[in-house]
Amino acid sequence: MTLFDVIFQGNDAVYGLTEKAVDDAIAKYGADKKVGFPGTAYSIPCYYAVTGTKVGTLGELKDALAVVKTLMTREAKLNDALMSGVATALLAEFIEVLKYIDNDTPYEAPYTGHLPDPVIRELGVPLVTGDIPGVPVIIGAAPTAEEGAALVKSYQEQGQLVTLVGGIIDQCAEQKVKMGANVRVIPLGKDITAVAHVVSVAIRAALIFGNIKPGDAAGLMAYTKERVPAFVNAFAPLNEVIVAAGAGAIALGFPVITNEDTFAVPECLIPKVPVEKMNAASLEARNIKIKITKVDIPVSFGSAFEGEIVRRGDMQVEFDGSRVDCCELVHMKDPSEVEDHAFELIGPDFDEFPVGSKQSIAYVVEVAGKNMQADFEPVFERKFHSYLNCIEGLMHTGQRDMIRIRISKDTFNAGFRAKDLAEVLYTQIKNEFAAVVDKCQVKIYTKPEDCTRIRHEIAIPMFDKRDERLSSMTDEAVDVYYSCIMCQAFSPSHVCIVTPERLGLCGAVSWFDAKATHELDPNGPCQVVTKERPIDERIGEYEDVNEAVKKFSQGALDDVSLYSIMEKPMTSCGCFECICGIEPFSNGVCIANREYAGQTPLGMTFSELASMTGGGVQTPGFMGHGKHFIASKKFMKAEGGIARIVWMPKDLKDQVADAVNKTAKELYGIDNFCDMIADETVTTDPEELVAWLTEKGHPALSMDPMM
Amino acid sequence: MPFNRKAHKFNASINEVEIGTGDKAIKLGGENTFPFYSFDGSLGSGPKIGVEITDLGLDAEPEGVKAYYAGCNTIGEIAKKAAEMPGGDFVVLRLAGGDPNGANKSVDDLVAVAKEVADAIDTPLVVEGCKNVEKDADLLAKVAGALQGKNILVMSAKEENYKAIGAAAGLAYGQKVGAESAVDINLAKQLNVVMTQLGVPASSIVMNTGSAAVGYGFDYTISTFDRVRAAALGQDDKMLQMPIITPVASETWAVKESTAAEEDADEGWGPVEARGISMEVQTATACLVSGSDAVILKHPESVKTISRLIRELV
Repeated sequence: MTLFDVIFQGNDAVYGLTEKAVDDAIAKYGADKKVGFPGTAYSIPCYYAVTGTKVGTLGELKDALAVVKTLMTREAKLNDALMSGVATALLAEFIEVLKYIDNDTPYEAPYTGHLPDPVIRELGVPLVTGDIPGVPVIIGAAPTAEEGAALVKSYQEQGQLVTLVGGIIDQCAEQKVKMGANVRVIPLGKDITAVAHVVSVAIRAALIFGNIKPGDAAGLMAYTKERVPAFVNAFAPLNEVIVAAGAGAIALGFPVITNEDTFAVPECLIPKVPVEKMNAASLEARNIKIKITKVDIPVSFGSAFEGEIVRRGDMQVEFDGSRVDCCELVHMKDPSEVEDHAFELIGPDFDEFPVGSKQSIAYVVEVAGKNMQADFEPVFERKFHSYLNCIEGLMHTGQRDMIRIRISKDTFNAGFRAKDLAEVLYTQIKNEFAAVVDKCQVKIYTKPEDCTRIRHEIAIPMFDKRDERLSSMTDEAVDVYYSCIMCQAFSPSHVCIVTPERLGLCGAVSWFDAKATHELDPNGPCQVVTKERPIDERIGEYEDVNEAVKKFSQGALDDVSLYSIMEKPMTSCGCFECICGIEPFSNGVCIANREYAGQTPLGMTFSELASMTGGGVQTPGFMGHGKHFIASKKFMKAEGGIARIVWMPKDLKDQVADAVNKTAKELYGIDNFCDMIADETVTTDPEELVAWLTEKGHPALSMDPMM
Repeated sequence: MPFNRKAHKFNASINEVEIGTGDKAIKLGGENTFPFYSFDGSLGSGPKIGVEITDLGLDAEPEGVKAYYAGCNTIGEIAKKAAEMPGGDFVVLRLAGGDPNGANKSVDDLVAVAKEVADAIDTPLVVEGCKNVEKDADLLAKVAGALQGKNILVMSAKEENYKAIGAAAGLAYGQKVGAESAVDINLAKQLNVVMTQLGVPASSIVMNTGSAAVGYGFDYTISTFDRVRAAALGQDDKMLQMPIITPVASETWAVKESTAAEEDADEGWGPVEARGISMEVQTATACLVSGSDAVILKHPESVKTISRLIRELV
């Protein structure tokens, strides 16, 4: 027998029962007898929501039966099966409503039966806000009462709203699980038809919170699928009625997870799940993420501890990447390889190291998620520094394989061990990156030989690969850029366009960062900017970019170029790491960085330059930018590129020299280009500058005039 | 050459949001031109004035406010008198006593206050929270439920708690929601976007884009109004076309110009109450001419002055 046959059979059986029950009721009370659930404006809710027709009497219920029959088509196709499932749920509601004839309370404690509208409004708010992360519907009896109660409790601990139908209720009672709406465990009723009451909750939530119009069945099903995080846990044995009802759940977007050995439908019907794995399997199937509110470690955790220094004398143990092999790593994995919240310590724990000793450590955070991308790995990894520093009595410096961690004696004595370090990484990654991380596990290695192997065989090749990708990324190689308007609070008309070769002028937002920011917060400050309609490739002007700039500057700017300092230069907020300004005598540009307090050949200091460059205005000849942009091949490409740089402060020159020399070699074949760039130790006088540049044979002198 | 008047027309307008029920219901917004540019377009039903009262009673209020409410003993009586204030269009109940760092009144007590106020008046009601985001999430959700059917405006839904307040007020109980952001057009817009994604209809949202007393960083407040209005009308930005309501009294009566006693103040400052009224009137006027569709005031003298200003200009 196929799954279709089982569903159709179950559906037919319920139809037969319902028809008989309705006929019997009409025989007993007459067709004009009123029917309905107490305390709802939507009677009878499921049927009303699906069809848009209200049912008030037994006669109308009989008519409704005929309408339901039209849903029960019998082709062996998915839609027929799903609609038969919906029909089964509607019929279950009919059977349930008959119980309420002349009786407002057919259910007695602990059973709740129908839930009135006010309860739904009250539960609906935490559902919409995500405070109730999910709604498990548990049907039948678990293999043992202990297992059943443990499953219910596991959901309860996660703040989920657990609804129970059938044998599980007695099992919970036997195991003394507290039940009631206040503890978020709702025993609906003994019969399978009582499942209609939770369907009714989901459906009325759509009407009340989703503004779904009754009769809009497609809108209804879209809403329940997207917004009502319900799922079914059905215990073996499953009869055809339960399977048919399950098809109804699937139609509403609620996956069915069961321990029965039955048909499997990916993402919809998941069989053969042992009871102890049902929670995890259900969360994964319904894509539910549980919010972690507290970091469970033996010491305090908070930004107050970020700047804390652990001195040698106070130190229990130190991990020092500059002396022994250490590393920290985020690694994207396939979901099947990651067990959420798993922790593994390979090697001795902190209490097995001599006090004050220097040790190796490698911690690897493995993440998986439907929306996870390998490009996010370094973005997460860079956060480790601030996560770990928030731990009281723990100091973290550096990154990648050059880390140093010190743990204080007090923190160690409070019970802080490797698992707590893992717990911090786990909770912070899960909380901050919930949009892309579905599962996360942490492995900590403390044996020197393991650390050496991981550092050299896994971490360093991975870092090299990332660097390679970053340095080989060109503006031409990507399809989209990103806008960034983080600074508009104080510079209202400024928009950064972030490209692979031109990072944000603050120096803090690379193209990857902007991309990750966008994925994590789709309504946030970084938005996708397409680049499909070039206007002028030379200066980097695109119609799409101009449209974005106009939109995000609220009309203050009409057009910008990405690669020119003279024509429509990009604006600056005020956060720039550096300012580049035209130097007319030498036909070049001078760059000043924020740290440089002295005079420049332009006759202006950094702050004086800043006052005319910031504020979101276009000032041809002046531009704010990040330090890394200096060595970019796109640095004022329209005016000839970095060959125009004639002066920068010595400190800055030392920081960027290697990268700038490399770019100059590649672009112009000039060796040691930085030696031709003047600094404050040479001169800050424009005439002396020209003389010095002439002596050095600086290429800017012979280039086309900039103005 | 004769003068040819050219109207500046926009193909966009500010949403009209109704609060209250029955004859006294009012509409905020609805204009399709800049503030008071009645020569260019429609001003909707014109700017409105809210009269603020708080659950903390009258003890800390200026003399003129105390005098106006003389003889009122319960919050219900105060509310009734506020609703009758000449020039006022609606009553604003600020539940300041909920602040955990202040009186820390219980949610149940404050909900009872809100009910008493709502039952005492037939003018529209706006309820503000206590500025503590966690407390407000719970408090305002409960108030929205308790006053179902009154079509009140529930203020103070911020980035941190908009889900709870938006879902309760805007979805479960059919009230209007005030989206509060801090003087930044992008934050204002983002809050409107996420609020509508939550399911709250754009037509149920009113914005509080931030407020301050004149002289206290007030230029930020004004430039935010300017930019929001320019984007809403000039660029037809649907996510910024919500009417703006600005709490004025709670800002202006807290600054030293309004509180320093005459003997402590600089020479020439004059009587304290006159200064307070002046601060309130100046701030409210600047808000209205820059884009606020409603201002929240408390002194009867200010309400009288501003209502006259609106009458003369609309």
